[in-house]
Amino acid sequence: MSSQFVYVTYIRTTPEKLFEALTKPEFTRQYWYGVSSESEWRVGAEWKLRFSDGRIADAGEVLEYDPPKRLVLKWRNEFRPELKAEGFSRCVMEIETLGEMAKLTITHSIERDNAKFIEAVAGGWPQVLSSLKSLLETGKPLPSAK
Amino acid sequence: MSDRFVYVTYISTTPEKLWQALTDAAFTREYWWGMFLESDWKQGSRWAMKFADGRLNTTGEVLESDPPRRLVLDWHNEYSPELIGDGPSRASFDIEQIGEMVKLTVTHEAQPKLLESVSGGWPKVLASLKSYIETGKPLPNPGNCAAAREQAA
Repeated sequence: MSSQFVYVTYIRTTPEKLFEALTKPEFTRQYWYGVSSESEWRVGAEWKLRFSDGRIADAGEVLEYDPPKRLVLKWRNEFRPELKAEGFSRCVMEIETLGEMAKLTITHSIERDNAKFIEAVAGGWPQVLSSLKSLLETGKPLPSAK
Repeated sequence: MSDRFVYVTYISTTPEKLWQALTDAAFTREYWWGMFLESDWKQGSRWAMKFADGRLNTTGEVLESDPPRRLVLDWHNEYSPELIGDGPSRASFDIEQIGEMVKLTVTHEAQPKLLESVSGGWPKVLASLKSYIETGKPLPNPGNCAAAREQAA
């Protein structure tokens, strides 16, 4: 009755820095296809991912906000009609400190079997998070795979 | 083979260097916390993964070898009483060049118990591999970090 994608990575950084990288537009622009993450970052606030040309990529609401450990977003694609039609998904981002590194777990799910949206994020998250890891560890994101 | 675990990562490197990182014992020791792999990596050859002290971790046959693009390994756990004999398993490594980076896809097909184990293991190993290639410094073993934290608690 649902589709889910889970991705785990380990990054040599602090939970605070990682949380900032996931929520601050000046960070997301660097590693996330140029998108800016926009929100007031409190529970119930709107949340958007905006392309550099101003279009909205994804949007939703902040469901949980517990920096630097946990962020839960209600999330719907806004620029691909066939994905938007699948409605809202839930994205849980969890950060755990392990010595000098942070473990990041992304669990993205939607209440729908074989969702195209989950297929799309299953392709996107590994690129985005690989680039994020490179940025935090080397100061340089990866080139865009697109 | 009932189920599969798929993990994709992108690394700033060349396919040749990534192939070496996956198959060269001196290289794997650096990021895989002392673990090393042995084989001539020809199709039909045996391969083994050993702990730093030489004990066997995993063995099998090289099912496909197409350097630097694709490697498929038959995979038998040799050290965990729970996992030995847990049915057939295979791991595939696909390497694709995308501009200045490389896309690595690891697909591991296994029975439930081994699948659970490798699903936890691959993200750790591949995160350390990426760090080692991109920064020259591997990550510490997350398992050891968790154990140290539990001891401290």
